[in-house]
Amino acid sequence: MANHRLSRERLLRTDTLLRSLQHLILALGAVIMVLPFIWMLSTSLKPSTEILSWPPQFIPKTITLDNYVTVFKTAPFHLFFLNSVLMASVSTASILVTSTLAGFVFGKYNFPGRGFLFIVILATAMVPFETYMIPLYIQMKNLRLVNTFPALVAPYLIMSYGIFFMRQNVIASVPDELLDAGRIDGASEWRIYAQIVVPLLKGAIGALGIFAFMQTWAAFIWPLIITSSRQLWTMELGLGMFQYRFTVDLGPINAGSVLSVLPVLIVFVLLRRNIVKGIALTGMKG
Amino acid sequence: MTATSLSRTGSLGERLATIVARLFHINRKLPILLIYLYLRVGPILTNFVYSFYNSSVANPRANFAGLDNYIALFGDRLFIISLRNTTLFAISLTVFSVSIALLLAVLLSGKFRLGGAYEAIYFLPVITPMVAVAVVWKWIYDPTYGLLNFFLSWFGIKPVAWLVYPDTAFWAIVWKLIGYNMLIFLVGIRDIPETYFEAAKIDGAGSGQIFRFITLPLLRPILVFVTVISTINAYNVFTQIFVMTSGPQGAPGNAVRTLVFDIYENAFRYFKTGYAASEAVMLFLIVLALTLVQFGVTRQRDANG
Amino acid sequence: MKRVERVALSAIALLLVASMILSACAPAPAPAPAQQPAAAAATKAPEAAKPAAPSDKPVTLSLWGGFPEMEPFYKHVAEAYTKEHPNVKIEILTHPLREFEQKLSATIPSDTAADIIEISMYANQKFIEADLIPELPANVKAFMEEKGRYSDFLQSNNTYKGKKYGLPLFVGRTALFWNKDMFKEAGLSAPPKTQQEMADFAKKLAKADAAGTLTRAGHSLRLSGQGSGVAEKWWFILWPLGGTIVKDAGNGKYCAGYNNDAGKQALKFYVDAVHVDKYDSHALKHDAEAFELGLAAMLLRESWVIGDIAKKAPNLNYDTAPVPSAAQWGRITNPVNLYVTRAAKNPEVAWDFAQFMMKPEHMNWLLENVGWLPARGDIDLSAVLAKIPQFKAFVMSDPNYKEFGYPVIAPFDEIMTKLAERLVTAYLDKSLANNPDGIAKTIEAAANETNEILKKAGLYAECK
Repeated sequence: MANHRLSRERLLRTDTLLRSLQHLILALGAVIMVLPFIWMLSTSLKPSTEILSWPPQFIPKTITLDNYVTVFKTAPFHLFFLNSVLMASVSTASILVTSTLAGFVFGKYNFPGRGFLFIVILATAMVPFETYMIPLYIQMKNLRLVNTFPALVAPYLIMSYGIFFMRQNVIASVPDELLDAGRIDGASEWRIYAQIVVPLLKGAIGALGIFAFMQTWAAFIWPLIITSSRQLWTMELGLGMFQYRFTVDLGPINAGSVLSVLPVLIVFVLLRRNIVKGIALTGMKG
Repeated sequence: MTATSLSRTGSLGERLATIVARLFHINRKLPILLIYLYLRVGPILTNFVYSFYNSSVANPRANFAGLDNYIALFGDRLFIISLRNTTLFAISLTVFSVSIALLLAVLLSGKFRLGGAYEAIYFLPVITPMVAVAVVWKWIYDPTYGLLNFFLSWFGIKPVAWLVYPDTAFWAIVWKLIGYNMLIFLVGIRDIPETYFEAAKIDGAGSGQIFRFITLPLLRPILVFVTVISTINAYNVFTQIFVMTSGPQGAPGNAVRTLVFDIYENAFRYFKTGYAASEAVMLFLIVLALTLVQFGVTRQRDANG
Repeated sequence: MKRVERVALSAIALLLVASMILSACAPAPAPAPAQQPAAAAATKAPEAAKPAAPSDKPVTLSLWGGFPEMEPFYKHVAEAYTKEHPNVKIEILTHPLREFEQKLSATIPSDTAADIIEISMYANQKFIEADLIPELPANVKAFMEEKGRYSDFLQSNNTYKGKKYGLPLFVGRTALFWNKDMFKEAGLSAPPKTQQEMADFAKKLAKADAAGTLTRAGHSLRLSGQGSGVAEKWWFILWPLGGTIVKDAGNGKYCAGYNNDAGKQALKFYVDAVHVDKYDSHALKHDAEAFELGLAAMLLRESWVIGDIAKKAPNLNYDTAPVPSAAQWGRITNPVNLYVTRAAKNPEVAWDFAQFMMKPEHMNWLLENVGWLPARGDIDLSAVLAKIPQFKAFVMSDPNYKEFGYPVIAPFDEIMTKLAERLVTAYLDKSLANNPDGIAKTIEAAANETNEILKKAGLYAECK
């Protein structure tokens, strides 16, 4: 006992030390995480003469919205924005529906070839998009969909990782007893899915939702090759307009970056609790 | 539909309906599977077929080449370099992004006021589009006006040509990935019943001991999961490197040449469609093997535990 | 169960329909160019020989380019063209270059590219070899072959197997940019004439702070970066010394042209600049930006920098000079051409518009407002030259001042890219300073790789 008390005192001392160290590390890390964003914002508000000055200033001496004006003058960025929102929303909705359905089936039904199919899906998640982009393009061309919205969003209608993620969630958080109870009550499989499974997956849906949104929002190469008019361009493509062949217009490109980060940021802030909960619910038991 | 209309007519129909019922789950999966086949498996298989051809831009299936592309792969210096780089890259990316994330999660796991804010801040880079990440990091790494060299100048360090070195891209990617892993770990730690920690404290265990003997073992399944996902992602890293190293002041190619980068260059710059396809197949096989091994490990552990 | 299945199916259907509807709500996209049988398209182009007489039927032309800074020019000429031909609508789309190549590799083989594409011959070579780009129709060919209109170099550059492809629009040509104030400050009155002078001047022009950190490069060299640019800039130094990247060995075969003294000297030039004479450093900003910001006294670059300086550093006191000579005297010329693709529904109109762009007044506009040099050699540019004298060094001609450029062989891009990677590594390597053996080894290894690539493409023959 005495021994214990002694070591406890020592522990308390080291604990205070550790605690301050903990806060120091966390704060430092947070600064590293946030600094690039502040720097992006700060650059976007500076006149071009001030951007390239030494020493760098975090708070602009003169705040100007010129760079943002340039962004909107260069091209119809409001249109790009709308296209991105539309594309990301459709893709997110589709990924959520397909992933929960497939996740449910993979998680709760036994059928021949289940393991194989699942491995195939997981495996395709690992094939980089760039390698099968051209065959996909040819398919879209054969459907006469080049330069249309459906083709723009097509590769983002499903997400291999999403199916994997939802399967894990279904296994972890949908008890068989609940499904059986539903079946005894005569509910159809579809109703079971809609009224039992989906509500239980709420958190996971939030988590997957933001990933899907973010992934589609960040799409670059596919929108570039599948569109042939600026009417269908997305924010990320538009940003490329400030990256010339040889030089970069730092002011406008940072302003454009701020504009492209903002929507994802808002979605994130709105869904943050869901994401944490979603990941918590998965259990991640493998 | 035929099944139900038949079921009205008699026992044969009923039997058919039962069969349909058994197959139901597959049926329901059918539309998704079809979309899946069309949008993923189809193009990927097409690509695999190309790998057996000595293809040109005009006609991807110009001359059947058998295994020539695969044989050529192993005599290709750049392929070997990329394979080595990708593996090194995947290992270091996984090690750094997992260990730093774990450390942060442990530090954040206690209850304190700013916890939520920290969570949000660390997660911010995860959701930021890569083009924006590349723009801002390249700007921070700028040799003459960059923020990083400015900070280093406080300590009397001479300007460093960050963009010339491939590690530059690496750290920006670590920066982007940490938040995701951290959040998963965090949730895992919070799932561990409080009583475990309390009991350990009463027994006089220090923070280090608590981490070693309680947090880490209980976190193991999550650790495995995060490592799997990180490794897979690392093998797939392309856009990040592509965007980070572009431009006349960007990094040299070989040093950051990952497999996907090499595939990209062979396919799009040099138009060796078949050759690039064979590289893609190799990549696929490697990652598939990795996944199977990791699955095996998890399953075994599940069985043991 | 049947119902479930139906519901699931209809959910998917709904989703697809929803996306269609959404797409309809989005501002109407341009219709995808209709496909036509390749054979028909291939025969169509040469047939368009009859004098272009665009009718009144509504025509939509699309043009894709890889140089975003060219967009104002295209808009300018498109406006002028539609004034004359109100039935023609022109859509212009430019892309940052590296991504543009990807787009072309997806769209050209599948005949979904724009009607007119702007690209260099060497980047387009792979498509031409694959017979995916139609040759020039007779009337355009006649326009191009008009005596004095395009230099012999441009004529031969755009010829493949005896056929003419692409109409040269502008050229990338190099000259030496030098900062007058810095020269004056260093007691120098004129730009260097020889490569030796260029290095000597650079040493005098470089500046370092008390700690020995270079704060101004005497000459901003391309030391890093992705893609073939590094090798191209090295070529600027290599060529005057008597070397080249690949040498014509006759019979359409080639060999590495730098595994010689010129190659070693050219690499030494760079290594010395960074590690011996230290007038350039990796830890400095580079390229046009550096020159504009006063971080470099000299720079070898194309004429677009003039336009860029006017925009970003209008007060910079600078001039341009011909590329300094060594054993020979010359500069690189990279032509950028217009091609009408197989996807074009109205190739006659497309070619008519392309030729319209080449009008002298538009070429003057291009030089003055964009800064790229008109490819045509039969145009009076004196008005613009009087206004912006810095263009003079770019358009000057002298029988001894030679032009060299990318040979039109498909693997050249791969050769340059792989050579560039080796050069970047070499520039970083301190151990190469005052190390002739190391330099010789580096050059030999690179040349072997170049020859290897040529061999694989069936284009190799031993030189001499």
